[in-house]
Amino acid sequence: MSEDKVKTGPSVFLSEILGQQVKVKLNNGVTYLGNLNSIDGYMNIVMDSTSEHVNGEDFVKTYGDVFIRGNNVLYISQV
Amino acid sequence: MSEPVPTVLPLEVIDKAIGTEVHVLLTNDKEFKGKLIGFDDFVNIVLEDVTEYDNDTANDGKIKKMLLNGGQISMIVPSV
Repeated sequence: MSEDKVKTGPSVFLSEILGQQVKVKLNNGVTYLGNLNSIDGYMNIVMDSTSEHVNGEDFVKTYGDVFIRGNNVLYISQV
Repeated sequence: MSEPVPTVLPLEVIDKAIGTEVHVLLTNDKEFKGKLIGFDDFVNIVLEDVTEYDNDTANDGKIKKMLLNGGQISMIVPSV
Protein backbone atom coordinates (compact mmCIF):
# COMPACT_ATOMS: atom_id res chain seq x y z
CA MET A 1 0.00 0.00 0.00
CA SER A 2 2.74 2.44 0.86
CA GLU A 3 4.44 1.35 -2.36
CA ASP A 4 1.37 2.38 -4.33
CA LYS A 5 1.37 5.72 -2.57
CA VAL A 6 4.95 6.36 -3.58
CA LYS A 7 4.15 5.38 -7.15
CA THR A 8 1.34 7.93 -7.46
CA GLY A 9 3.00 10.69 -5.47
CA PRO A 10 4.53 14.01 -6.49
CA SER A 11 7.83 12.58 -7.76
CA VAL A 12 6.02 10.39 -10.30
CA PHE A 13 3.91 13.31 -11.49
CA LEU A 14 7.04 15.39 -11.96
CA SER A 15 8.73 12.73 -14.07
CA GLU A 16 5.54 12.48 -16.15
CA ILE A 17 5.47 16.16 -17.04
CA LEU A 18 9.19 16.67 -17.74
CA GLY A 19 9.56 18.09 -21.25
CA GLN A 20 5.86 18.91 -21.54
CA GLN A 21 4.01 22.21 -21.66
CA VAL A 22 3.21 23.26 -18.10
CA LYS A 23 1.58 26.10 -16.23
CA VAL A 24 3.31 27.36 -13.10
CA LYS A 25 1.40 29.65 -10.78
CA LEU A 26 3.24 31.65 -8.14
CA ASN A 27 2.04 32.83 -4.77
CA ASN A 28 1.73 36.39 -6.10
CA GLY A 29 -0.75 35.25 -8.78
CA VAL A 30 1.58 35.53 -11.77
CA THR A 31 1.44 32.55 -14.12
CA TYR A 32 4.15 31.18 -16.39
CA LEU A 33 3.41 28.91 -19.34
CA GLY A 34 6.31 27.07 -20.88
CA ASN A 35 8.19 23.92 -21.66
CA LEU A 36 9.40 22.24 -18.47
CA ASN A 37 13.12 21.55 -18.59
CA SER A 38 13.89 20.65 -15.02
CA ILE A 39 12.47 20.60 -11.50
CA ASP A 40 13.87 19.55 -8.12
CA GLY A 41 12.64 18.72 -4.65
CA TYR A 42 12.41 22.39 -3.69
CA MET A 43 10.13 22.94 -6.69
CA ASN A 44 12.84 25.07 -8.24
CA ILE A 45 11.85 25.08 -11.89
CA VAL A 46 13.59 25.71 -15.22
CA MET A 47 11.43 26.33 -18.28
CA ASP A 48 12.01 27.55 -21.82
CA SER A 49 9.76 29.23 -24.40
CA THR A 50 8.04 30.88 -21.47
CA SER A 51 5.21 33.38 -21.44
CA GLU A 52 4.27 35.44 -18.40
CA HIS A 53 0.63 36.13 -17.53
CA VAL A 54 -0.80 38.46 -14.93
CA ASN A 55 -4.43 38.32 -13.76
CA GLY A 56 -4.87 34.86 -15.17
CA GLU A 57 -5.15 35.49 -18.87
CA ASP A 58 -3.61 38.80 -19.86
CA PHE A 59 -0.52 38.22 -21.92
CA VAL A 60 2.44 40.20 -20.67
CA LYS A 61 5.87 39.05 -21.81
CA THR A 62 7.82 36.21 -23.34
CA TYR A 63 11.14 34.85 -22.16
CA GLY A 64 13.63 32.26 -23.35
CA ASP A 65 14.93 30.32 -20.41
CA VAL A 66 13.39 30.98 -17.00
CA PHE A 67 14.47 29.87 -13.56
CA ILE A 68 11.85 30.07 -10.82
CA ARG A 69 12.89 29.69 -7.21
CA GLY A 70 10.76 27.01 -5.60
CA ASN A 71 9.53 28.96 -2.59
CA ASN A 72 7.38 31.12 -4.89
CA VAL A 73 5.59 28.21 -6.53
CA LEU A 74 1.93 27.69 -5.64
CA TYR A 75 1.35 24.91 -8.14
CA ILE A 76 2.59 23.34 -11.35
CA SER A 77 0.08 21.79 -13.71
CA GLN A 78 -0.33 20.17 -17.10
CA VAL A 79 -1.93 22.39 -19.71
CA MET B 1 2.19 5.48 29.80
CA SER B 2 -1.48 5.01 30.61
CA GLU B 3 -2.60 7.65 28.06
CA PRO B 4 -4.37 6.12 25.09
CA VAL B 5 -2.33 6.26 21.90
CA PRO B 6 -4.08 7.82 18.87
CA THR B 7 -5.00 5.03 16.48
CA VAL B 8 -5.47 7.15 13.36
CA LEU B 9 -2.56 9.28 12.22
CA PRO B 10 -3.23 12.45 10.21
CA LEU B 11 -1.45 11.20 7.12
CA GLU B 12 -3.50 8.00 7.24
CA VAL B 13 -6.63 10.08 6.83
CA ILE B 14 -5.17 11.65 3.69
CA ASP B 15 -4.03 8.26 2.48
CA LYS B 16 -7.57 6.92 2.80
CA ALA B 17 -8.80 9.80 0.65
CA ILE B 18 -6.56 8.87 -2.30
CA GLY B 19 -8.69 8.27 -5.37
CA THR B 20 -11.60 10.36 -4.07
CA GLU B 21 -12.70 13.99 -4.43
CA VAL B 22 -11.13 16.35 -1.94
CA HIS B 23 -11.34 20.05 -1.17
CA VAL B 24 -8.02 21.70 -0.42
CA LEU B 25 -8.12 25.04 1.39
CA LEU B 26 -5.05 27.25 1.27
CA THR B 27 -3.84 29.99 3.55
CA ASN B 28 -4.57 32.72 0.97
CA ASP B 29 -8.35 32.41 0.38
CA LYS B 30 -7.81 30.01 -2.48
CA GLU B 31 -9.39 26.58 -2.73
CA PHE B 32 -8.95 23.58 -5.01
CA LYS B 33 -11.34 20.73 -5.63
CA GLY B 34 -10.21 17.59 -7.41
CA LYS B 35 -9.42 13.91 -7.27
CA LEU B 36 -6.56 13.16 -4.91
CA ILE B 37 -3.85 11.17 -6.69
CA GLY B 38 -1.04 11.24 -4.18
CA PHE B 39 0.98 13.18 -1.64
CA ASP B 40 4.36 13.16 0.08
CA ASP B 41 5.67 13.75 3.60
CA PHE B 42 5.51 17.55 3.12
CA VAL B 43 1.87 17.13 2.07
CA ASN B 44 2.63 18.41 -1.39
CA ILE B 45 -0.32 16.87 -3.20
CA VAL B 46 -1.13 15.72 -6.72
CA LEU B 47 -4.69 16.41 -7.91
CA GLU B 48 -6.58 15.47 -11.08
CA ASP B 49 -9.47 17.25 -12.86
CA VAL B 50 -9.09 20.27 -10.63
CA THR B 51 -11.32 23.30 -10.22
CA GLU B 52 -9.62 26.35 -8.73
CA TYR B 53 -11.59 28.75 -6.56
CA ASP B 54 -10.64 32.32 -5.74
CA ASN B 55 -12.63 33.71 -2.82
CA ASP B 56 -15.42 31.15 -3.42
CA THR B 57 -15.76 31.85 -7.15
CA ALA B 58 -14.68 29.07 -9.51
CA ASN B 59 -12.09 29.91 -12.12
CA ASP B 60 -13.20 28.73 -15.56
CA GLY B 61 -11.42 25.76 -17.03
CA LYS B 62 -10.39 22.58 -15.27
CA ILE B 63 -6.79 21.66 -14.66
CA LYS B 64 -6.09 18.15 -15.85
CA LYS B 65 -3.38 17.27 -13.34
CA MET B 66 -1.40 19.39 -10.93
CA LEU B 67 1.14 19.38 -8.12
CA LEU B 68 0.12 21.71 -5.31
CA ASN B 69 2.79 23.08 -2.98
CA GLY B 70 2.20 21.84 0.57
CA GLY B 71 3.54 25.04 2.08
CA GLN B 72 0.32 26.92 1.24
CA ILE B 73 -2.12 24.24 2.35
CA SER B 74 -4.14 24.84 5.49
CA MET B 75 -6.80 22.13 5.31
CA ILE B 76 -7.78 19.08 3.27
CA VAL B 77 -11.42 17.99 3.34
CA PRO B 78 -12.39 14.61 1.91
CA SER B 79 -15.74 15.11 0.18
CA VAL B 80 -18.81 13.76 1.94
